[in-house]
Amino acid sequence: MLKIENLCKTYPNGTQALQNVSFEVAEGEFLAIIGLSGSGKSTLLRCINRLIEPTSGKIIWNGVDVTAASGKEIRNIRRQIGMIFQQFNLVKRSSVNTNVLTGRLGYSPTLPSLFHVFSKEDHENVKKNLEMVGLLDKIDVRADSLSGGQQQRVGIARALMQNPKMILADEPVASLDPVLAHSILKYLEQLNKEFGITVLCSLHFLDLVHRYATRAIALKDGRLVFEGLPKEIDDVQFKQIYGKDAERVEIV
Amino acid sequence: MTSETSKKAHLPELEELAPFCSIVLPGSGQFLQKKTWRGITIFAFSLILGFLVLWGFANYEIGAVQIGNMIYSWLVIPLIFYYLWNIYDAFVLSTSKKSPILIAFLAGAIILYVVGWYVTDIKLDRLVTRFDAAKTVMYKIANPDFFSTQEGDKVVVCGWKCMWNAVDAKLHGETGPTIFVSENVGRIFGGKGKITATIWDVWFGNAKTPGERIQGFQTGKIVETIAIGLMATIFSTILAIPISFLAAHNIMRRVPGGSVIYYITRGILNIVRAVDTVVWGLIIIVWVGLGSFAGVIALTIHSIAALAKLFSEEIEHVDPGPIEAIEATGGDFFQVIRFGVIPQIIPPFLSYTLLRWDINMRSATVIGFVAGGGIGFFVLETIRQGGYQQYAAALWAIAVVIIIVDFISSRWRNQILKDQPPTEAKVSVWKKIRKVVYFLIGAAAFIYCWTITEINLKDLFNPGSTFGQLLLDFISIDLSSGVVKGVTEQLVITVMQAFMATTIGGILAIPFSFLAAKNLTGKSRFSSWIFYISRASFNILRSIEALLYVAIFVFWVGIGPFAGMLALAITTFALLGKLFSEAIESIDPGPIEAVNAAGANKLQMISYAIVPQIVPPFLSYLIYQWDINIRMATIIGFAGGGGIGLMFSTYYNSLQYHKAGTVVVGIVLIVALMDFTSAKIRENFV
Repeated sequence: MLKIENLCKTYPNGTQALQNVSFEVAEGEFLAIIGLSGSGKSTLLRCINRLIEPTSGKIIWNGVDVTAASGKEIRNIRRQIGMIFQQFNLVKRSSVNTNVLTGRLGYSPTLPSLFHVFSKEDHENVKKNLEMVGLLDKIDVRADSLSGGQQQRVGIARALMQNPKMILADEPVASLDPVLAHSILKYLEQLNKEFGITVLCSLHFLDLVHRYATRAIALKDGRLVFEGLPKEIDDVQFKQIYGKDAERVEIV
Repeated sequence: MTSETSKKAHLPELEELAPFCSIVLPGSGQFLQKKTWRGITIFAFSLILGFLVLWGFANYEIGAVQIGNMIYSWLVIPLIFYYLWNIYDAFVLSTSKKSPILIAFLAGAIILYVVGWYVTDIKLDRLVTRFDAAKTVMYKIANPDFFSTQEGDKVVVCGWKCMWNAVDAKLHGETGPTIFVSENVGRIFGGKGKITATIWDVWFGNAKTPGERIQGFQTGKIVETIAIGLMATIFSTILAIPISFLAAHNIMRRVPGGSVIYYITRGILNIVRAVDTVVWGLIIIVWVGLGSFAGVIALTIHSIAALAKLFSEEIEHVDPGPIEAIEATGGDFFQVIRFGVIPQIIPPFLSYTLLRWDINMRSATVIGFVAGGGIGFFVLETIRQGGYQQYAAALWAIAVVIIIVDFISSRWRNQILKDQPPTEAKVSVWKKIRKVVYFLIGAAAFIYCWTITEINLKDLFNPGSTFGQLLLDFISIDLSSGVVKGVTEQLVITVMQAFMATTIGGILAIPFSFLAAKNLTGKSRFSSWIFYISRASFNILRSIEALLYVAIFVFWVGIGPFAGMLALAITTFALLGKLFSEAIESIDPGPIEAVNAAGANKLQMISYAIVPQIVPPFLSYLIYQWDINIRMATIIGFAGGGGIGLMFSTYYNSLQYHKAGTVVVGIVLIVALMDFTSAKIRENFV
């Protein structure tokens, strides 16, 4: 479904965020991406939908070369890929309703959307998706009046508006406490298992990887250092990924 | 459920009656439904709109239409719509639904703009029909009088073309026009000329007695301006500090009878602040006579009031912890201030002083219009003589000086507000020497400024013979109906000038601010050029005060409120453009990323991820600019820009001080009212 070949990203300041990263993702997988802060996880996820331009390498999404796509084409690819962010990235002053509707922008004609006109179906889908994440009663409140966990659930509803075939989740639970982390990841698991949406999710905590992921890859200093099943990450692998001073911590 | 029903049973009358009150008195229904500010706003606006429609029709026949035998203003229609909306709103409120305010907004806007358009005498056709005049004046502005050349036996300004010819000739080895520095440069920046000897000249043996006319180095007008701004800042800071303590509630609470002093001080400060520096200048010249000294005093008076207010607010916001701790150790009132308050307020005070220096430099460029010192006086003279190229040279000189001052001031402010580095245990000898050198340079500069601004403390305590009479006349204001009617009319024009300029300049600034925001222009070479050009034009346009722009627009569209409004709109455009673009740069980039990831295009991204984030800062900057423009509009008339300033200078120059006093009272009232309104709007809506 998704094939990454020799992906490299060098930032203008010389940082080599990704170096020759290659891997494949099959449809229906829950792929965890692990690694220290600054190891290139965010850059990798953002290269896949080209929020960041890769320096070299190829990304093949369902047979289409993402790296070669033009402006219009990349927007068409992006709208099939949902994204969830660590800082939720909601427009704080806009209502939950508007925030969820922004997930539909890639499908909506420009002019009506600028005047906040969306199809009836879109409005119904907002309700459906908010109900799914249990926030239907909050549809008219402003995003900044919600708690962190609630904001992330709005973020999930927004991604669902795109009818995504795949979801990219960039540390979706790093800003949340452990209990909420499980609730958010359970939603992602549900999407993965019930709707067959492929999930690429970067995570900090190894026990979350064990609990939710079907497969894992690890990055260190921009290089792929591990690829395999979560349970294969033993102590030796662990030290290799996180450095020799690291120690395992358990959450909840 | 039960509590809700019982509540309803308790208050059926009031809840059902409240909307009907709005039929009788607009806003009262909303007021009774606990929407206090909504009610007051609706009521206040109905008064303002009603007044404007009636007044506009009675005085100017604005919007007059004839239906049968009746002649009336069609502006009554939006007024009726506003009234009907108010009733509708009251009823919708009682059902606790959201009420659309679009109708009220439109009705209000129509009335304000139609009346504003009419009273500020906007004639867009003149912008086109008199375009030749504009071209002439623009050509002169673009070719300032810095260099001259000989043409026959006449000395003429050497503009860009002439300079290019000279350079071109030189490159080809031919003899082109000879170019020399204009006399004008000497007048602006300083040069040889006749000067009045000071005590320093006597001391150095250049003259026998002070006051003698000798040959020497003449101070440039721009240097004089810098000195005026500097002296005013130093004096006002020193004087504002003690006053600010009198205006700080948390300090005065501790003193018996302090609250009374607090309210009196605050009141006086507000009145002094409401009167513009230029108007103060007019009062001061009667006291000490024309000259730089009058300018220094005028700026100082206004700055004291502005600084003392900011200082006192800073004192009120100090951390009460240390004060409590020092009181707990048994410290007395002065010890509390010395050890609990002063250490906390030094950085913010310094920062405000620097900010004020920036503002004073700008005021110093215009104070000469009335007080007779500095570059403002030079500008006034050159315009009177039609010397637009000399005027242009002054504008460019001002722009350079103000941009430099702005840069230094904001840089020092940032340094002050950063955390102070820990004091070093050992200070190196070099640093000590450097400190002494800095101090000596500062002292020399201070003495130099003191000399060239002709500060004379004797004059200060020996006011002009007519000053007492002037004060008495000012206080016994003329309230005869003719004067009051005239003042009202001019005040409406002034407020409308500020309103039109703020909204027009603000709306124009929006698209350009997007070009000047680094996070939107992107990183390609072309777009970074757009960024630098738009930022630079904002900064250059912003560095010149509206009063100095008026001359250009008077040349273009003629004397009157339209020219003044355009001058205000230009400065508004520049300042808001800068502030808006900074607001855009400081938005949260997260939503932009999220909307892009969903496949939105650029327009959708702007309208969903950027616009919702910038509406609040844009509104608050608009209100800030409105406050500035109201003050500026009161003096724009001194340069031919119409409004209350023209009326004041007419009365003042014909020695009708009673009437001039009425005008000042009018200015103070309107500025105070507008300040109050904008403060309330800021609290409740932004």
